Amino acid sequence: MPVAASAIYFLNLRGDVLINRTYRDDVGGNMVDAFRTHIMQTKELGNCPVRQIGGCSFVYMRISNVYIVIVVSSNANVACGFKFVVEAVALFKSYFGGAFDEDAIRNNFVLIYELLDEIMDFGYPQNLSPEILKLYITQEGVRSPFSSKPKDKPVPNATLQVTGAVGWRREGLAYKKNEVFLDIVESVNLLMSSKGNVLRCDVTGKVLMKCFLSGMPDLKLGLNDKIGLEKESEMKSRPAKSGKTIELDDVTFHQCVNLTRFNSEKTVSFVPPDGEFELMKYRITEGVNLPFRVLPTIKELGRTRMEVNVKVKSVFGAKMFALGVVVKIPVPKQTAKTNFQVTTGRAKYNPSIDCLVWKIRKFPGQTESTLSAEIELISTMGEKKSWTRPPIQMEFQVPMFTASGLRVRFLKVQRFDFYTLDSTILSKIQCRVFKSLCN
Amino acid sequence: MAPPAASQRYPSPSQPSGKSEVSDLKTQLRQLAGSRAPGVDDSKRDLYKKVISYMTIGIDVSSVFGEMVMCSATSDIVLKKMCYLYVGNYAKGNPDLSLLTINFLQRDCKDEDPMIRGLALRSLCSLRVPNLVEYLVGPLGSGLKDNNSYVRTIAVTGVLKLYHISPSTCIDADFPPTLKSLMLHDSDAQVVANCLSALQEIWSLEASHSEEACREKESLLSKPVIYYFLNRIKDFNEWAQCLILELAVKYVPSDSNDIFDIMNLLEDRLQHANGAVVLATVKVFLQLTLSMTDVHQQVYERIKSPLLTLVSSGSPEQSYAILSHLHLLVVRAPFIFAADYKHFYCQYNEPSYVKKLKLEMLTAVANESNTYEIVTELCEYAANVDIAIARESIRAVGKIALQQYDVNAIVDRLLQFLEMEKDYVTAETLVLVKDLLRKYPQWSHDCISVVGSISSKNIQEPKGKAALIWMLGEYAQDMSDAPYILENLIENWEEEHSAEVRLHLLTAAMKCFFKRAPETQKALGIALAAGVADFHQDVHDRALFYYRVLQYDVHVAERVVSPPKQAVSVFADTQSSEIKDRIFDEFNSLSVIYQKPSYMFTDKEHRGPFEFSDELGNISITPEASSDIVPAQQYEANDKDLLLGIDEKDDNKGLSSNNGSAYSAPSLENSSNITSQMQELAISGPATSATTPQSSFGFDDLLGLGLSTAPAPTPTPPLLKLNPRAALDPGAFQQKWRQLPLSLTQECSVNPQGIAALTVPQSLIRHMQSHSIHCIASGGQSPNFKFFFFAQKESEPSNYLAECIINTSSAKAQIKVKADEQSTSQAFTTVFETALSKFGMP
Repeated sequence: MPVAASAIYFLNLRGDVLINRTYRDDVGGNMVDAFRTHIMQTKELGNCPVRQIGGCSFVYMRISNVYIVIVVSSNANVACGFKFVVEAVALFKSYFGGAFDEDAIRNNFVLIYELLDEIMDFGYPQNLSPEILKLYITQEGVRSPFSSKPKDKPVPNATLQVTGAVGWRREGLAYKKNEVFLDIVESVNLLMSSKGNVLRCDVTGKVLMKCFLSGMPDLKLGLNDKIGLEKESEMKSRPAKSGKTIELDDVTFHQCVNLTRFNSEKTVSFVPPDGEFELMKYRITEGVNLPFRVLPTIKELGRTRMEVNVKVKSVFGAKMFALGVVVKIPVPKQTAKTNFQVTTGRAKYNPSIDCLVWKIRKFPGQTESTLSAEIELISTMGEKKSWTRPPIQMEFQVPMFTASGLRVRFLKVQRFDFYTLDSTILSKIQCRVFKSLCN
Repeated sequence: MAPPAASQRYPSPSQPSGKSEVSDLKTQLRQLAGSRAPGVDDSKRDLYKKVISYMTIGIDVSSVFGEMVMCSATSDIVLKKMCYLYVGNYAKGNPDLSLLTINFLQRDCKDEDPMIRGLALRSLCSLRVPNLVEYLVGPLGSGLKDNNSYVRTIAVTGVLKLYHISPSTCIDADFPPTLKSLMLHDSDAQVVANCLSALQEIWSLEASHSEEACREKESLLSKPVIYYFLNRIKDFNEWAQCLILELAVKYVPSDSNDIFDIMNLLEDRLQHANGAVVLATVKVFLQLTLSMTDVHQQVYERIKSPLLTLVSSGSPEQSYAILSHLHLLVVRAPFIFAADYKHFYCQYNEPSYVKKLKLEMLTAVANESNTYEIVTELCEYAANVDIAIARESIRAVGKIALQQYDVNAIVDRLLQFLEMEKDYVTAETLVLVKDLLRKYPQWSHDCISVVGSISSKNIQEPKGKAALIWMLGEYAQDMSDAPYILENLIENWEEEHSAEVRLHLLTAAMKCFFKRAPETQKALGIALAAGVADFHQDVHDRALFYYRVLQYDVHVAERVVSPPKQAVSVFADTQSSEIKDRIFDEFNSLSVIYQKPSYMFTDKEHRGPFEFSDELGNISITPEASSDIVPAQQYEANDKDLLLGIDEKDDNKGLSSNNGSAYSAPSLENSSNITSQMQELAISGPATSATTPQSSFGFDDLLGLGLSTAPAPTPTPPLLKLNPRAALDPGAFQQKWRQLPLSLTQECSVNPQGIAALTVPQSLIRHMQSHSIHCIASGGQSPNFKFFFFAQKESEPSNYLAECIINTSSAKAQIKVKADEQSTSQAFTTVFETALSKFGMP
């Protein structure tokens, strides 16, 4: 049995059961007590997300203020279990409209019971696609068809769809305005030496899409990645255009992407789900282009004072600009008072995350700006606890710029059967940088 | 639905038991039951919601069962669902009442709306009341033939549920063949997937007592079926794909073309966004290519980057699951991942369980080319705020040092740690320095000069203190003030709470005494006196023993306590390769996460705190062990040492190569190993002379893996001569076991002496080894033991493989033999049986 979950529990932080669903009889009802006493009330909680107690294994995850616990009695597939939880939460979120927390569960428990029934039967995951489930499980509840004539019923159609071949998209969608949005979000992990040399840098990126298209469109996405371009020029038997190509270390795709076609032709073609989804994920380690340089200097002046200087330099083209730049500069826990000056933007000390948060709305290319702060610390009686300088974090969006240099060359809609595309908007491309510093 | 007032009825656990509320509900429901007024459904919904919310928070609302059922005559689908949920929850406890529900559920099963048909069928099957199964067969049968796929998917799972309630009803109704034909012919992917999971479960449960089910189970793995699934794998959703891939793992390909066909079919699955699908594909690839060494290597290269991508995306829990698998692969083939070591660097915001795994992986991939960088990175972590991680990274540095030949730079680093002056860093480092010195005594000069300057007052942790004391004793001649430090420590004997430290003090005082008698004599006297008066049994015994052996003859005492040291050349592996292979076979399951094979945590007898009870069981049968000492040592054994690590069975290799001096090494008290305890006891107990035979006994006992150290001369077997030094690695064994046909199955009885001797598997393994039959894997606990043996012909490399299951309560052994040469398998079986029959005879 690859995965046969015996039960699933939703607990709040105190360990009260919000909802539970037992799929199989092979675990006792007191399992949740075991979880509470052996995991929640001990230090084990943060230690390992998979634990075994008395013959049952608990696979658990914390999402906002809720613990989701899957109980299995056999040698189950853990990766599948976690993925199931993640997908289920995504499904709930799409039903509740964004938030998933204790209150959302309490207010929607009947709905969650309905969903839990559908997404797993006897411990085997069934269909978790929100698109399909929303057809026949609605928050309003589908009114009984008895009152209406059988012909008007949308329900049989929906149930057929549950198991259809294109499980992620339903048929018969129609939009007045057909739109596609595409975002590239990259998270850069960077380690710099104190002299400013880049020691390590890698990028994990996601291509996020939002589709509002009628019918069953077939989309094709062209990126400036190396393999794709080479293959294309090979197929068209003409030399590849010169220009920057990106070598992707590895890619994974949403289930809608035709993987066979990707393997043979190296093109990303797919029938998109309706609404928002993550089309692909990729990883790049070479040739990463950093939009900013951050040069911090931190001086500890005796026991109770510190001086922090952070200089941020934008190194992208002068015509471009970054939006919503947020720099989070960590400071010690015992910070008492802060004084700072910034050349642009605003800064604030946020004690709950022990950071100076510096926000700059618009940051043009080829400029620099600095923050200098003086920090007073509470003098502690005991020996000064060493402060391991955590990394500086930076978040920003640079339209039409990615750290990896990945660009969308084209996005084609193949099947123009019965509509024309109104707009293909390549919206913002955002970048998120985690900056880690060597002292 | 979600009526606006929902929050008012917010259930809170602080509510009273809810008795009055429940009876309130009861009357309200009763009023509504007969009503046909418009809007009655809405009020029913509110009431139902209340009932369900009480049910959720654990208030017993089973008393309204009757009313709920009465109200269920509705056309509102949400109401129906709530009712189904309620009924499913309480039917088991109220079998009589659930009879009431059968009627309306059966009616709903014939509803014109497929949705209702499906839901009713699901609820009907979820009642789980044995005496109602007769009502299930009809609706299930028609459900399987329903023209709506939604109903069929539910019916298929329903069959499985029925099987779990009453296997005979399910079989008698001929459901499995129906499922099989559905599986092969249905147009709907989810129906097919559910058929597959149901059939796999039913047939593997049936297989134990039905030949036919066994055949059917095999037929699922036949080439046409496998290809039927693999060719249309894209039609299935991600979960069903996992199921199919798991099935494909068990398929035995006919030839190498077959293997490549499957790999080509599945290659694109490695790009799937669902980590579970990728892992399942990886498993298929790895298992298929086990026999083809170079392709297997290529597979590693191919799967590397998808796995690394999965690790870096998704929640920490998901990356943990993937990392655990990557960890297994890294440990199996470190050289393939050696260049990717940077991927295993810890990131600041990762949870500690991920960091811990990454540290282990860094340790595993360290080789000559990347050691410097890895150690530099690890040293950064040593200053980490998370103390547990800091400790782990220091240990990792130590492990790398023990693996490498060029330890020069690492020793410097370690010594730098000592200058950080953090209590836990110093303690961990001291333990490591001690371990290093045991392996590389040539570094003693560098280390001793630094260690000597550490004041023992600054070390609080017993392990660190013990390590320091060990070094003081061991290198007393190099440290000018060693006797005085020891004297100081001995004077504070009363304040020393850890028995481990006190034991080491005794031994160190002894060693110091042999080297610098005049300076130590006084201190030793105090130590022995304090030791004999100690309330701790071990300390008392050791002090007494030292005292008596000194009385007997000082030179003998020196030979016993402080013989010339030998460097430890081989350190214990963390796990035996047999266990590792088993975990590898169970790739993509909990085994990998727990790092132990599934039988260890799913079998009933292994459940719970099995390690502890296991050991106690062993202890009771060892004649040398006096039981009043052992629990104390057990207690000490909690904290494990690096050298004798996480490992349970194999560490005696390290010990015995260290031979005489091993018992005084600090690590010993930490070992949870039974034989080392025996050694210890043999020395510290009155039976001193037994040292040598004891340790060689332990050596034998623990090897137990069929290594070619079989000491006893081979008695000439009749007919067939076996090679006493046969060797076969576990991978090859597995491969063969899977490929070779079963040539012989035999049952024989085991003599009572044999049964009596078979308290631990090792006893039989040793016995069989003396007959040139080597054990490759063993497991189980009384009364069931399972062994895998192999043997080789004396003259040619022809192998015999045997599986032997011994049940000690019935005194029967079941033997399955597979052989390269079928013709001689009978002869081998005879040899095997003869050997087995001699088991337990003096």
